[in-house]
Amino acid sequence: MPSAYVQFEEKYCTGCTKCVRACPTKSIRIRNQRAVLLEHLCIGCGECIRVCPEGAISPVMSRRGLEKTDKITVAIVSPILYAQFPGVMPCDVLMSLNHMGFDHAIDLSYYLEMYQYAVERFIEQNRERKETPWPLISPICPVVKRLIALKHPGLLDHILPLKRPVALVESGIRREISEQYAVSEDDVLLYHLTPCPSKVTYGDTDDPEDRSGLNPAIGVNDIFPRLLEEVEATREMDLNLYPYRHLSFIPNARGPLWAMSGGEIAGMNIDRALAVSGLQEVKKYIEKIEMGLFQDTEYIEFRACPEGCIGGPLTAVDKYLARSTVQKLIKMFGLGRRIQPRKLRRLYDRGWFFSQTKPSDYREEIEDKSRSLTIEDMRRIEYILSQTPGHDCAACGAPDCRTFAEDVVRGYARLTDCYKFALDQCRDSNKFSDKTSE
Amino acid sequence: MPPLKKCFHIKGRDFIHAGQAAITVQKLLRQMGIAQSLIRRIAICGYEGEMNVVMHGGDGLFCVEIDADRISLEISDDGPGIEDIARAMERGFSTALEEYQEMGFGAGMGLPNMENHSDELHIESAPGKGTTVRMLFHSPETGDSQED
Ligand SMILES: Nc1ncnc2c1ncn2[C@@H]1O[C@H](COP(=O)(O)OP(=O)(O)OP(=O)(O)O)[C@@H](O)[C@H]1O
Ligand code: SF4
Ligand code: SF4
Ligand SMILES: [Mg+2]
Repeated sequence: MPSAYVQFEEKYCTGCTKCVRACPTKSIRIRNQRAVLLEHLCIGCGECIRVCPEGAISPVMSRRGLEKTDKITVAIVSPILYAQFPGVMPCDVLMSLNHMGFDHAIDLSYYLEMYQYAVERFIEQNRERKETPWPLISPICPVVKRLIALKHPGLLDHILPLKRPVALVESGIRREISEQYAVSEDDVLLYHLTPCPSKVTYGDTDDPEDRSGLNPAIGVNDIFPRLLEEVEATREMDLNLYPYRHLSFIPNARGPLWAMSGGEIAGMNIDRALAVSGLQEVKKYIEKIEMGLFQDTEYIEFRACPEGCIGGPLTAVDKYLARSTVQKLIKMFGLGRRIQPRKLRRLYDRGWFFSQTKPSDYREEIEDKSRSLTIEDMRRIEYILSQTPGHDCAACGAPDCRTFAEDVVRGYARLTDCYKFALDQCRDSNKFSDKTSE
Repeated sequence: MPPLKKCFHIKGRDFIHAGQAAITVQKLLRQMGIAQSLIRRIAICGYEGEMNVVMHGGDGLFCVEIDADRISLEISDDGPGIEDIARAMERGFSTALEEYQEMGFGAGMGLPNMENHSDELHIESAPGKGTTVRMLFHSPETGDSQED
């Protein structure tokens, strides 16, 4: 398992503390004027990447672009990619990926529909069986899943135990392609094109047995400049000369819709569903669920990024522009459904949609490994806190005074990291030297 | 050793910040390694109690006391008080104004929920004298009970 989702480049970091304050799980500190990560607390949300003025932080995955390889390369295309190209048809984007060097580009929209079908069916059955507690939480956003595992493990049971659409793709595509090319499955290389800094890690896969944990991911922003050139070239091309070689399904507008907050539930037949996006809002809602609220809501679509995945840290185009692009695509294509419920029902009943790992298994991997604090620790924290200036200035290297006090008690920081204590100590030693000089 | 005590002010009719005390306590307990299921129960009780103050009581105080063998919540206000406590405890009994019902409150489930999820519930209240609700939770497992 990769030890971190983000990496810090020491030579660019100025120790400005912006990332320290932005991190929702308080997992960054400044030590020796450089940012350091408490890896066990990081959920891969990418907030730090957004705020760093020096570009010192990058997602761990983006070290890998499209490699030169003899293997068959397949791009699994997050629908967010289409939203980066206003006025360009999704098919043209897929074709441009072909021209760029991918042997195949796979559109996800059909799998999204399949997933939505499975959610509807699950909810229908849960109304009768009541086996999973309301509100059910969408398993789509890995950052939200990690946040729950880290801070609210008691709510893991609320996460819908279905495979995410990417896992549905992966479960069949490798074999399909290896058969088509008569190569072994090991010679098929799947790439995820994603706006999300936290996609390719073991632990994010819905099935630990499948190999998606080993699949490289490429940030949409990384691939964007090259792809833009290809897209422009593609649009001037005589398409009849270049047959379109993507595998499965023609994209429709359901994919792009999915990229926006609310897009997951908009396509579903559920009465009582909510869509919540942006980490601050997501945190508030999760806290409320913990307090027993929303029990009459059936499904909550959480997205850690503002406005949904189009607001991901690794996008190339501003989220509001992307949204307008999506809205145009919806107008053009409509939101018709293509799936055949009868066929899917059989698959569903056979368990094909279900994740092999229970959400509660997630707990072991993510669990907050910080030592539990004792009553005595708490008392010391309160005392230290009462002695700090209390302005949350972050100059000590912790995001706020309370966290500083906790760090001291946990042994992560020294009292004199805070200027107030350092000053006090300085005064004390001055008094001493005054006396000796007298 | 005296228990650890923390108090928070509750502001009446402030629906924007309502629930904040319960959330802060939730975080505190989590850091102390209290069992998830107990945190959940305390969060539910704390939230219902806090909402009752915000909605019916006016300004108040929300205190938590953490001891090695028990956790207690004391939620008090100097508002109008409760006329008939037994009646208020009934499921579905509510005097919530219509505007609060429109906001989704006033199902008359708060006190019954608190009774359900706490080990002990004590209410002191009389018209004009304000209300104090005390809830006890037995034998939490705190960080103290773990070897390091
Ligand atoms: N702090 C308080 N001050 C005055 N009256 C109170 C207070 N707490 C509860 N009550 C009275 O007890 C009744 C029942 O309270 P309970 O919490 O069970 O239901 P509710 O608050 O009306 O509705 P719900 O909690 O379901 O939103 C209230 O309607 C109110 O008349
Ligand atoms: S990715 Fe998110 S959780 Fe991880 S260090 Fe950055 S801001 Fe914090
Ligand atoms: S935001 Fe963080 S990583 Fe970037 S320069 Fe400031 S302290 Fe360093
Ligand atoms: Mg109530």
